[in-house]
Order: sequence, then C-alpha cells, then structure tokens
Amino acid sequence: MQRSFASLLLALVAFGAACGGDSPSAPGPDNQVNPCPATSSPSKAMTVLGCGDVKPKRITGEINVRGTTAYTTTWNNSSPTSALYVWDVAGNVPTLVDSVLVDGASTLGDVVVTADGKYLVVATEYAGGSIVIYSLTDPHKPQLVSRFTSPETTSGVHTAEVGVVNGRLYAFLCVDPGAAPAKLVIVDITNPAAPQQVYSRFIGTPFVHDTFLRDGILFLGLWNAGVAIWDVGGGGKGGTPSNPVDIATLQTANGHVHNIWWLKDPVTGSSRYAFIGEESPGSVGTSSSGDIHVVDVSNMSAPREVAFYTVPGAGTHNFSVDEQNGILYAAYYNGGVRAIDVRGDLGTCTDAQKSSPVNQTVQLCDLSRMGRELAVGLKDRSNNVYVWGVQYLNGFVYASDMLNGIWKLRAVSR
Amino acid sequence: MPTRADLVSTLLATALAMSTGREARAQHQGHAGMAMDSTSAPPTANRVHVMAQAIPVVTHAQHTAGDRNLTEGYLAQVVAMGSGRLLQGHLLFDVTLNGEGLTLRRGELSTGAFGEGFVDRRHPHTYLHELIASGVGSAGPLGYSVSVGRGFVPFGTDDPMMRPFEKYPINHHLSQILERGLVIGALRLGPAILEGSTFGGDEPTSPGALPRRDRLGDSWSVRGTVLPFAGAEVQASYASVRSPEQPAGFGLDQRKQSVSGRLVSASGERYLLAEWARTDERDRDRDLAVFGYETALLEGAATVGPVDLGLRLEQTDRPEEERLADPFRTPRPATDLSIAGITRWRTATAAVAFPGATLGPLRGYPYIELERLAARRRSATDIFDPRQFYGSPIWMASVGVRIRYGVMHPRMGRYGVALPAGPSLHMLGVDPKQSSVHAGH
Repeated sequence: MQRSFASLLLALVAFGAACGGDSPSAPGPDNQVNPCPATSSPSKAMTVLGCGDVKPKRITGEINVRGTTAYTTTWNNSSPTSALYVWDVAGNVPTLVDSVLVDGASTLGDVVVTADGKYLVVATEYAGGSIVIYSLTDPHKPQLVSRFTSPETTSGVHTAEVGVVNGRLYAFLCVDPGAAPAKLVIVDITNPAAPQQVYSRFIGTPFVHDTFLRDGILFLGLWNAGVAIWDVGGGGKGGTPSNPVDIATLQTANGHVHNIWWLKDPVTGSSRYAFIGEESPGSVGTSSSGDIHVVDVSNMSAPREVAFYTVPGAGTHNFSVDEQNGILYAAYYNGGVRAIDVRGDLGTCTDAQKSSPVNQTVQLCDLSRMGRELAVGLKDRSNNVYVWGVQYLNGFVYASDMLNGIWKLRAVSR
Repeated sequence: MPTRADLVSTLLATALAMSTGREARAQHQGHAGMAMDSTSAPPTANRVHVMAQAIPVVTHAQHTAGDRNLTEGYLAQVVAMGSGRLLQGHLLFDVTLNGEGLTLRRGELSTGAFGEGFVDRRHPHTYLHELIASGVGSAGPLGYSVSVGRGFVPFGTDDPMMRPFEKYPINHHLSQILERGLVIGALRLGPAILEGSTFGGDEPTSPGALPRRDRLGDSWSVRGTVLPFAGAEVQASYASVRSPEQPAGFGLDQRKQSVSGRLVSASGERYLLAEWARTDERDRDRDLAVFGYETALLEGAATVGPVDLGLRLEQTDRPEEERLADPFRTPRPATDLSIAGITRWRTATAAVAFPGATLGPLRGYPYIELERLAARRRSATDIFDPRQFYGSPIWMASVGVRIRYGVMHPRMGRYGVALPAGPSLHMLGVDPKQSSVHAGH
C-alpha cells in the first residue's frame, strides 16, 4: 500500500513538472506598434484615415470630440489615478497633445463636452465616484474647475450626460450599485464651479447605465427594467430636473438596456424613432453581444419596439448619429463600427425582411435584411479592435478602441 | 459600520457558540476524528463535538497582483465548529462559526484565488459559515434525511479547509457552493447516496451577510455518490445556480458540473483526491451560454515517518474582471455582465506538516507550503494579460501553525445520511490515538 502511494506521489510530481512552466506569450496591447495597416478592403468598408500616433499604454474608454480636439478616457487603470487623453484630430492621424491625470479614480467611463464647448465633464469610478469639470478655454489644456461628489455618488459614476433644460445646464449621473442600489443623480452645473445636486432616485434593475436628453425629455437605460422616458421640462407633464415626471417605460427584447439615441431628422422632420443599445455579455478584446432595438416613440406615452439590428458574434455599445444624413454609427466592440441607414420608415417591411431577436418569438423588422447596413468600419485592420465609443462630427467618424486607442474614419455618404 | 445583518449574524453566532460550548463540556470530545456513518444503528446517547482552530500564517508571494512581491501575516481559518446527535440520533446538527471577517478583512494573500469581489486574495468567509439541522430516519435498508439551514450545497467536493493545504485551490468557486440558505433531501441505500437540494443562488456580499429571503429556492443541485469500498468515494453532481454574483438576481446564471474520486486510508495517513469541474455561465435573457470555466485537480497526502507530505496539482480557468484601485478587489456588484478575459492557471503545491506540540488544551501543528503558479490568457485576444500583470515566475511560500482545540472534523460539505464514515486527514494534525479509537464506525 505504501509503495503504491509513493508511486502515485511520484506521478504527481512528474505531472507538476510538466504543467508548471511558462510558455512564450503573444504580444500584448502595449507591445503592438501603430500605425495600424489594413489587411483587406471589402466593398462595404469605411475608409480609415488614421489611428492615433501614440497607442496609449492604458485601456481606452469613451470618446468625445469638439472641433478639432478629441478627448478619450481610460478604463480599468491599475492604480488610483486615471488618465484622460487629449488629441488633435485636425489631420488624418490623431496626435496626442496632452494628458490629464485624475486622482481617486480607477476608471473614467464617460466624457462629454458641453454644447457651448466651454466645459468638459468626466465621470469617475469607483470609490469616491464623482464628476470632474474642466474649463476648455484652451481645448488642448483642460483646466480643473471643480469636482462634484456626494454620499449618493460614492459607489461610482458610470456615465454623465449633460444638457440644457429651461436655460440651466444639468449633468445626469448614472450611479453604480454598491451598498445601495443604482440611482440617477441630477446635478445643476450652470455654475460649474459650484455644482448643486437637485435630484436623486434609486432606479434600474439592477443598473442605470446611460441617459439621453433632448428637448426636456430624458431617456434612461435601466437594464432589465427597460428604457424609461421622463419629462424633465419638455414633455408637457410639468416635469423638471428636480422633479421629473414619468412618461412611459418600455421593455425591449432581452433587456440589458444600456444607451439611447432619440433621433430628430432635420431633413424629414421625423422624431419617430429612438435607438436602444443592448449591452449583453462579452469578454473584452474577444467577444461581445447585444442588439440595437428600434423603438417607435411617435406616441411617447406608448412606445413600442418595431425593429432591430443584430451582428452575429458582436454586440453594440455607444451610438452617434449623423442626423443630417440619417446615418447611425454604432460602436460594436469586436464588430468594429457599423453605419446604419435610419432615415424613413423602419417599422414597415416585408415578411422576408423580418426576423426575431435571439430567444424571442416576436417578428420584427430586421435592419440588416432591409439592407440598411451601409458600411462597416475597422474590421479590415490587421489589429483586432474592440470599439467602445464613436462620434460623428463634420464628415468624420471618430472611434475609441479599447485595444488601440483612437481612430479617424471618413463618414459614409448617401 | 456594521450593518443590521452583521449584528444579527454576530449575535446568532455568539449564542450558538455559547450553547454548544456548554453542551460540549458535558460530553467527551473523542468522536470527531472519524465521521459517523448514518447508516449505522443510531447511538442511543446524545453527543456533541466541538472544535476550534486558528492558523497564524505568514505568506510571501512573488509576482502577485500588479507584479509586486508581498509578505503578509494573518490569523486564517479562525473557526469554531460544533456537531452532534440528539434525539437518539434522529436529529443532527452542524454549526461552523468563522472569524475571518475580523482577522482577514482584506482577504488572504493567495495568488490566483478569486470570488466574492476578491482576486488574488481569498475572501473571508461569513461569520455564520454553517448552521444545519438534519432530521434522520430509515425504512428498512433505506436511510433518509432532510437538512435545513445555511451551509454547503450538495455539489462537488469537500471544503478545502478539511484538505491537506492551508492555501485554498483556485477552483474553490468552481468546485464548491457554500454559505447558502438551503434545504437538502438525501437518500442512502447501501453504498449509494443520492442528494437533491434547493437553495438561494446569491453569494454572500460580506462576512455578515445572510442569505436573501427573496432568493431562497431559486437554485437547485443534485449529487450522486457511490462508496465502492471502505475509504473510497466517487461522486458526480450538477447544480443550476441563479445569478450568484448579482444579489438582486439579474446577473449571469451558472450551470455547474463536478466529478471526483476520493480515497482515504483507514488511519487517515493516505489520501488522494481527483476532481474535474466545469462552470458555464448563461445569459438567461438570451438563453445562451456565454463563458465557461473548467478545472482539474489532483491532490494527495501521505504520512512518512514523523511528517506528512502533500502535493496538489491544479489547472483552473478564472474569469478576469475590471479591478478597483486596489488591484486585489473587483466591483461588487459588477456594473455589467462582461469580463476582461479568462486566465488559465496551472499550479503545483507542496506541503510538509510536522508533528504537533501540546500546550494545555491546545495542540499546534506546524507546516510549510510552497506553490509554483503559471498563468496565461486562454484567448490571445483577451485584454487581460496575466504575463504583463504578474510578471514571472510566480511563487508563494507559507509558514504557519494549525492551532486547535479538539479534534478536526473529518469532512465538510455533507449532511445527514450523505456523510460517509471516515477519518480526518492525518496531515491536518489529527491525534492518531483519538482517530484510531473510532475506526470501527
């Protein structure tokens, strides 16, 4: 018996020697070198003008562009200090011109420039969650104005949208769940040096991930609780930012409601559709899932899902719409950037153009079957991409890529 | 600031500790080195066993999270355990109180470990680790039991605390389901045991956390065990766990499988365990499997002269998540359903335990453990690259002393008629005299 056990232990030792060693690793993101060449040019490929002249050592998050300056955030920093990168995007190749360090944040999940271009607002996660407001007097050199945090934001501010309601500037903070459930916090930043919280409410099942404000109507992405529509000053129900009034809630297929874009088409005058991003599970760098859901909000009190867009093997994240041309650009993580024609009637289609979202039986118009996918960006690169955010501006599309930093593409024309 | 749940937990734990302590003084403590076989005729006398343990341990980790080298010391595995038989053996109880929430608040340095918001540190267990009451009966050759309380779900293998190594294997969250509010039904016929359970899928969120009432019964498991001959045990189990990591219930579900074989000599001086387990995470809304993690583990121990030797080999896949400013922590609850990749760990751990020494009612059993680890991305495109994050080579070395009052419980994770007879592992510091006294059970 003792001999047999000794033999077994010997075998274990041999196995251990065999499996314990290291093997050569594939080059990591930090070891790759920009530029980022194409491998092919499929007919529907968006034209890539350039990628950042520097590939950030940190993982890139959200992007916001104003004029010829782009700002990108960083995600999952391995220290309590995060970085915000400032890029000159006047040329085809975005050029890194500055970086801003933000203490007390391991992730900067969102960045936005106010409509007047004067201020930059950055959301920070996790402990000590806050928004940081910078002056853009010199767009290349953001200057700290103030930092807002409160006991209601300490678990982390996931996103912060800003917008004007009745002449005052507000920030809409989606706060992570922590010891307390997720919540929406609204902050008056009309005086950016002295932000004032005016509202908070536990909301989201279990998260509230993003908001979209237009004309005094606020859309909220409430994950499995769907998308909510609030009157905060323009819905005709007496709502204000300090006292929002519910208009409606809609469950979209498969939940996981992450982000929203309510389109007002300046050419057709239509404001019929809101586009809802579903963020389903993914492995950063490798896989993603989640569709775009098209909701008819012509009756704001009774929204209904009429169409969807799906990409096999990839999932959507943030949107930006070229409203003049009716083209929605969606960040699609490992699926690159997708340009979708969203002008006209999206809810009427033939039977052959209908299908069902995964695990659903309802038949909806499928934008791919309707031929509305116009182009695909960044899937023709030798680099793998994982696109977090995208922004259309003045004929260009800017994309933030978690693996490679920033890209500049030519917008799609009709 | 303790929460109400913390206070309730602590009060309950204290009350139980005091009551079991009183009973224990009236009983002898020699029955613990050997698990009692519930198919044996129930002993007529009620009896209670108590044990308390703490392990002062110093660990040096070379190339741990953030490519740093750390040396830390703690009091680990601070537990008080009680078990017993009442009502002529028809009512069994098991209680384990765990003090790691006080001594290991930031977790125990353990490169590769993960779970409950800790990573590369083992998380502290809940104060009320286990509190189970089991009603036991028989009908002819068929034994049956129903167990209720908080404890181990009938799934997978024994808790690592009852196994030869102080450092837990990486697969703890793939191979055991613990600290859940549960109801277990068990049947035993000859060498075959069948268990089924329903439980709440939510993992604890802090040492003071109690199972959420609104989650009770949302998950289930089944485990079949065969005891082909004395000391041998083969089990296969399956569990469906709803949203373990999102307490509100909207996270990914898990489908878990486990197969293992265990062999222990009558004296507890020889031990071997081989296990394979897999956890698939599913997006319930889309009804799709999205991530899968697999583990294989082989461990053994043998008494050689005055010392005990142990060796463990493991390969385990671990999900990577966004980390907080503290690289040993991840957001809990997570803020979405995504991960940052999957790391495949391979480890080899060797341990030596030395003869114990007595100090009054306490015995101390010194040990040394040495662990070599290697980690790589399972997919080359995953954003988390362990080679950059850890550097190389990854080592851990630990020195500690198992300080114990009473005799080590032989098993942890089975209740009622599902608990086979057998000794405690000698490597854990069981007094051979006490163990041999009860070899006939």
